[in-house]
Amino acid sequence: MNGPLKKIMVYIDGTEQSITAAQYAICLSRTTNAQLTAIYVVNTRALRDLVKSRIFLEAEQAEYQQDLEADADRYLNHIRQMARQKGVAIETLKSSGTVHTEIKNKINELEIDLLILGELSTIRSRRDEFYNESERAMRSASCSVLIVKDEDRVWEMYESLT
Amino acid sequence: MALIDLITEEAVKVPLISQTKPEIIKELIRLLHETGHIEQFEAAYDAVLTREAQGSTGLENGIAVPHAKTNAVKSLTIAIGISPAGVDFEALDGNPSHLFFLMLAPPDQPGPHIEALAEIARLTRSKAFCNMVTAAISTREVVEIFREE
Repeated sequence: MNGPLKKIMVYIDGTEQSITAAQYAICLSRTTNAQLTAIYVVNTRALRDLVKSRIFLEAEQAEYQQDLEADADRYLNHIRQMARQKGVAIETLKSSGTVHTEIKNKINELEIDLLILGELSTIRSRRDEFYNESERAMRSASCSVLIVKDEDRVWEMYESLT
Repeated sequence: MALIDLITEEAVKVPLISQTKPEIIKELIRLLHETGHIEQFEAAYDAVLTREAQGSTGLENGIAVPHAKTNAVKSLTIAIGISPAGVDFEALDGNPSHLFFLMLAPPDQPGPHIEALAEIARLTRSKAFCNMVTAAISTREVVEIFREE
């Protein structure tokens, strides 16, 4: 490894924005030789909260947890393929719990230098209930955080890697 | 896309005019259908009714959160409706429901779906917030309350 960046982690949540973030992370890993990790957190905290608030039935909790597990496998597999296509080694992690807490813990455990996230909402509400998990991860991370924007430009960057 | 991005005036209806649970659900789905958010009205309606048959999404304090997974939408979709008169939504506390969050998501997008529902759960914990929204008299006012920019 050379350069200041040794370890990068990208958070994947099944959104288009997180796929764009992964493309950027792959580009950055290629150019800096930083180790790359992709993490998907199965949001079991939200599932428990939804049952507690009676919005979900317990049967729904089980069903959606299965859906999230399958989503995690599908997206992490997709990210692995994207990285492989560009000759970039990547470690993928599937975790579960409270999303931003899991991300923060993994950052500390793996001594991550840079967390990469997909684009956040452009609407800035003062209501903190609208801080979604990406925003909470950004605020609680102990390392630097990069927010990836401009999907088209990132796609061009990724495609141009040979 | 975050929940806040989905709360636009065209996804809000004030006041809702229906007086029964199935009609309220239909009215909210019709709103989304007419604004191009839903392609298949009947599929969306059936999905929500099927979920309601498993257990009512009428909560306490006049709030209801009908929701379903359905291929009738291509992405996470929400409609917010307010019924000043209140509707019997078979709520947990037996009281009429006034504030409705209808949420639909494709089956292959569980992450954003769950996160958005969790955000609604957090929001609706605040009685003051819910009262403010329920008292709103226009779609613009509802959106402004949510955004509180």
